[in-house]
This record gives sequence, structure tokens and C-alpha cells, in this order.
Amino acid sequence: MTDMQWKSSLLAAAFAGIGLAATAGMASAAGPTCKDGTIKVGAVSTITGPADFSEVPKATQAAFDAVNAAGGINGCKIDYTIADDKADPAVAAQAARDLIDNKEAVALVGSGSLLDCAVNSATYSRKKILSVQGLGVDAACFSSPNVAPVNVGPYTLSTAMAWYATNQLKSEKLCAFFIIIGGTQEAYKKAIENWEKISGKKIHLIDLTLPFQGDLTPYVIKARDAGCDAVLTNQVEPQVVQLIKTVDAQKISGINWLFLAPGYTEQVASALADTKQPIYVGTEWEPFTEKSSAANAQWAADMQKAGRPLTAFSQGGYLAAQLFLKVVASIDGEVTRESVSKALHEMQPITNPLAGSPYVFGTAKTHSPMQATKVMRLEKGAWTVETPDWVVLPQAK
Amino acid sequence: MNALLTSAVAGLTAGGTYALLGVCAVFTYRLVAVVNFTGAAIGTAGTFVLIALYEAGFPIWPSVLVGIAAGTLVGVAIGYIMTRWFGEAGASTKAAVTVALLVGIIAIGLRLTGGQHPHNMPELFPGSAFRMAGVEVTIASVLTIGLAALFTVLADLFLNNTKVGLNLRALADRPMAAELLGIRVQLLSLLVWGMTGAFTTFALMIIAPQRSPNFMTLSLLVVPALAAALVGLFRSFWRTLAGGIVLGLVEGMASSVDSISQYRSAIPFLVVLAVLLWSQREARWDEAR
Repeated sequence: MTDMQWKSSLLAAAFAGIGLAATAGMASAAGPTCKDGTIKVGAVSTITGPADFSEVPKATQAAFDAVNAAGGINGCKIDYTIADDKADPAVAAQAARDLIDNKEAVALVGSGSLLDCAVNSATYSRKKILSVQGLGVDAACFSSPNVAPVNVGPYTLSTAMAWYATNQLKSEKLCAFFIIIGGTQEAYKKAIENWEKISGKKIHLIDLTLPFQGDLTPYVIKARDAGCDAVLTNQVEPQVVQLIKTVDAQKISGINWLFLAPGYTEQVASALADTKQPIYVGTEWEPFTEKSSAANAQWAADMQKAGRPLTAFSQGGYLAAQLFLKVVASIDGEVTRESVSKALHEMQPITNPLAGSPYVFGTAKTHSPMQATKVMRLEKGAWTVETPDWVVLPQAK
Repeated sequence: MNALLTSAVAGLTAGGTYALLGVCAVFTYRLVAVVNFTGAAIGTAGTFVLIALYEAGFPIWPSVLVGIAAGTLVGVAIGYIMTRWFGEAGASTKAAVTVALLVGIIAIGLRLTGGQHPHNMPELFPGSAFRMAGVEVTIASVLTIGLAALFTVLADLFLNNTKVGLNLRALADRPMAAELLGIRVQLLSLLVWGMTGAFTTFALMIIAPQRSPNFMTLSLLVVPALAAALVGLFRSFWRTLAGGIVLGLVEGMASSVDSISQYRSAIPFLVVLAVLLWSQREARWDEAR
């Protein structure tokens, strides 16, 4: 080896060493980083007031706590704040501003509220923050550029249940009765129109005047006299019980009763243990009453560890957390509101066994990524799975 | 026509409910001069005591008695608040206070009873009495209308033909004068509150299985009930009874006419407006003369 050769190889080795150090430096920078060791995340949920959706963000919290206990994402702990909007628009607006401006949240994850989307979606757009809604309730959750719920939602689920009625229950005279609250009329009409496009059938009777409270006898008589062989309604929990009790009192038979996810609870099952009516509900996620299902295993284990109840709502909050964690883990560099929004906008679809469709946020003007349901049937006070495979809504013809 | 009759009969259940609670509202107003917005909420509180006991596995009828006792207590408690602190207040203040109390009771009730989650409400009188125009008229609705009629007769007799009734009317009209005459105002008032509490509780126990079984919807039955009471101008039990039943029938019929049915919840108010205008016509003519 000549002197020259020796020098150049030393130089090469030195360069290689520098190169290695550089790549090592790169490797430690790959993945998410955070300024003060925390990633701030918030949720606006209805906890007190006429409804209680607190199970949604509390499950999100439990999922984050589990990650934090294991050291966080790349060392970053999730600092999660749940704000109660009390189902009051003014409180909801204030809560959102507080999370965005004072708490400096990078995203909203696992919110479940009666009116968060309707009140705050314009704020979210203005402040360029995205919400991975744990439970989208109002119509704005499915029609805003900055909100993408992890649940199917009442409108897509209406289409899916109508599709199930005609496709699998072979219903010829499907009737729909909807309670219209706020600006949901167009969304429900559209849900039925979508079904008409997909199935090529016409709705036999559509009634948009179902009362939120009041006697339901005239409506069940109307359904019977119109000759409906299946009735789809968006009744919520107590009204589901009232409707079926009224149907029983009127001694009506031969109609399949189809409800949306709010009817799928253990309280409804036990309150209707005596009825012989054929009752079907669509779920938002893998049926939560299927304790032995493999898809539920991780969720159930994490919830039990956190001492949280196993409810459908808690699946929503949990799923939102899991999807968000995956998206954050894909970020290279500092986790900020900008980088999280960018990552959600550019993400590849993520599948999770809890849901029948892959979740993607994307850059569309409206988001409704979840398009699949599993149908449950009520038998002798217990829910049984009617469709072991997901009922996935086909695209309109 | 047949469809209209069918839906009218279907509205009977609601009509009986409105009539029964309306008559109770008139009773309270005539005896203690309070337009009581908490009427149905008091009954609901008692009913939920029954539900809690029933769900815990206690036998039905003893639980019914405990529930009625609880409803009576809630009624007396509200009556105590009203007579103790608002005895001298005007009718509109008293009404406003009961609205505030209603909001409070609903808030507490929703919390204690698990919010929107439905409960297992035992049917005290299950089954159907008869079938009319293609509608099963349930034993519970017949009973509701029957009780409303019975209460109407008894209230009329009690107020017009008994000494206590006379005292109570004096108490409602001129509480101060009544007190000076030696009538035990506070005790009598509480008695009235307790009685209506017991009665509305029993009424709601019959009604609840046909309604959405949660605290708020049951408590808000007071709105159409007050509309029925207004038809009776808060004086006549018979007109309130008729008003409640007619409200139910009209609501039932409206649900069969598509163009009207989306506005059917406004119907009570149209009925009330019509009644008020009709009842005022003589005063107008008198003024004009």
C-alpha cells in the first residue's frame, strides 16, 4: 500500500464514518418527534345534558393511556383533554376554541357529540385542524371537509339497512319512518334516494313526521294499513322499545322492523325480551355483544384493563384513537397541527378489524369512509349476529 | 274516510293521557292557584321508583304502592316549596317557578335513571279491551279515559258539595282571607299537592308502558296536558276532559294526512287558540255594545 493509497483509504473510511453517523442521525429523526414530550389532543363531547356520549372519548382516553404507559409514540406522550359541550351550542363553540387556541391541540380525536360538527366544523376549517370523530351524530359530521367520523353514521346506515331489507330479507314493500331533528331531513331523503339507485327499487312509503315524543299508535297502524313488509326507522333507544310495544299492543305481525345502531343496546334487548316481532339493527362496528369475536379481542382486553364498559360507543372512541396513533406514527419530524393534518390528508387507507371498511381521511369535501355494517337480530332478549360477513354497500349503478 | 276513523281511534290512547293529566292540572290550579308544570314530572318520579323496585326483583303491586307513596312525597315537597316561599306570589311567578322546578327535576331524573337508556316498565294492565275500526283499543287506554272521567266527577262533587272543598276554593281565590277565617292554609295546600301527586303517579304508571320509557319524555307530557286544561280555561273539568280527548283524536287523524302530519305537534296550539277566541267572543261583544 502506497502512502497515497493509505491516505485515501483513511479518508474514505473517515467519510464512510461521517456517512454512517449521518444515517444514524437520520434514523433517530425518522418517526414523530415532539417539542416538550407531549402531543396535545382534544375532544368535544356531550357528557352532561340530554344525552351522554362520554363513553366515546373515555375509550379514546383509555387507548391513549395504554400507549403512554408503554412509553408513548417514539417517546411522545399523548396529552388528551375531553371538553363537555353540554349539548349547548355556545358551550361547544367555547370548548372548541379553548382546545385549539389555549391547549394548542394538534387534532381532535374521539369526539362524540350531539352538535359539535354542526357548531364547530366552520371553526375547524378556519383553524386548519382536523377531527377524527369517534361518533358522528349530526349531519354536519358527514358533510364537512375537516371532519371524518370512524362510524358509519345514521344516513349511510339507513341506506345499508334498506339494502339489507331488499337484498336479504327480500322485502318488496319497504317503508321508512324518520324522526327529523334539525337539518337532517335532506340527509335522510338522500339516504333513501341512494338506496333506490343501488337497488333499482322504489320506496313504498316514506314518512318524515315521526314524533320525538308522543303516541306511536297512528304510525304503526299506518304502516300496517299501507301493507309494508319491512319498516326502517331511525328511532333511538327508548323509542325503539315504545314502537315495538305499540306494535305488540296492536297485534300486528308480518312486518320486519329495522333500526339503526342506537337501538343496539343491552337495555333494549332486555326491555323487549318478550316480543315476537322480527327486529333487526345495523351496527356501526364489529358487534360489541360478541365477546368471543377475534375482531373485538384487543379492544375488549384494553377496555377491561382500563375498567371501561364494553359498549358500542367505546368501540368508536377506541377505533378513533387507534387510527390516529397509526397516522401519527407515520409522521417524520415534529408532530404539529400542520404535520398531523398533512398526514391525515395524505394517508393510505387503514384497516382495523373493528370496522368493515378501511378508514381514510383524505382531502374530499365530505367524508363518509365507513360503508359497511353487520346486522343483528333480537331473539328472546339477546342479540344474535344475522350477517357474520360485513354487509358492504355497493356503489350506486 | 275509513282511514281517518282508524287514525282517530288510534289517537284515543294519547287523548286519554292528555285528558287525565289535564284534569289533574285543573284540580291543582283550582285548589292552590298554581299552573303546575311539574305535574307529569312528579308522577314520573314515582313511576321510576316502581321501575327501580321492579327491576330489582320486587313484586309488582307492593312496588306500585311504594311508587305512589314516593310520588306523593315529591308532590308534597314541591307543594312545600310553592306554599312556603311563593305563597303570596302572582300566578305568573308561580307558573315560572314550576317551570324552573320542572327543568331541575328532569335534569336530576335523567341522571338518576341513566339518561336515555330505556327501562323495563311493567305493564300493570296488559292486553286489549276491544277492537274498533281496525285498531286495538288497549285496556290501559280505556282505563285512562275512565279514570279521567271518574276524577272529573269526583272533583266536581268534592269542590261543590263538601266543606273542605269550599275551604279549598276560598284558599285558592283569597289565601289571605281564608287564613284570617281560620282555614289551615298550609296544611290544606300540602294535602292537595300530595293528592294530585299520588293520582298523577298512578296515572303515569298506567301510561308509561305505551310511551317512550325515559324520564324526560314522560315529564314533558305536561305540555299537551296543559293545552287540554287551557281548553277548559283552567276551570271546567268536563271541558278539560273533552279537550284532552279531542286533542288526541285530532293528532291521530293528522298523522294520516301527509300534508298536515309534519305540523301535527302544533295542532294543540291551534285548538287552544280557537277555543280562547271562541270563549272571548262574548266579552268582545259586551265591550262593543
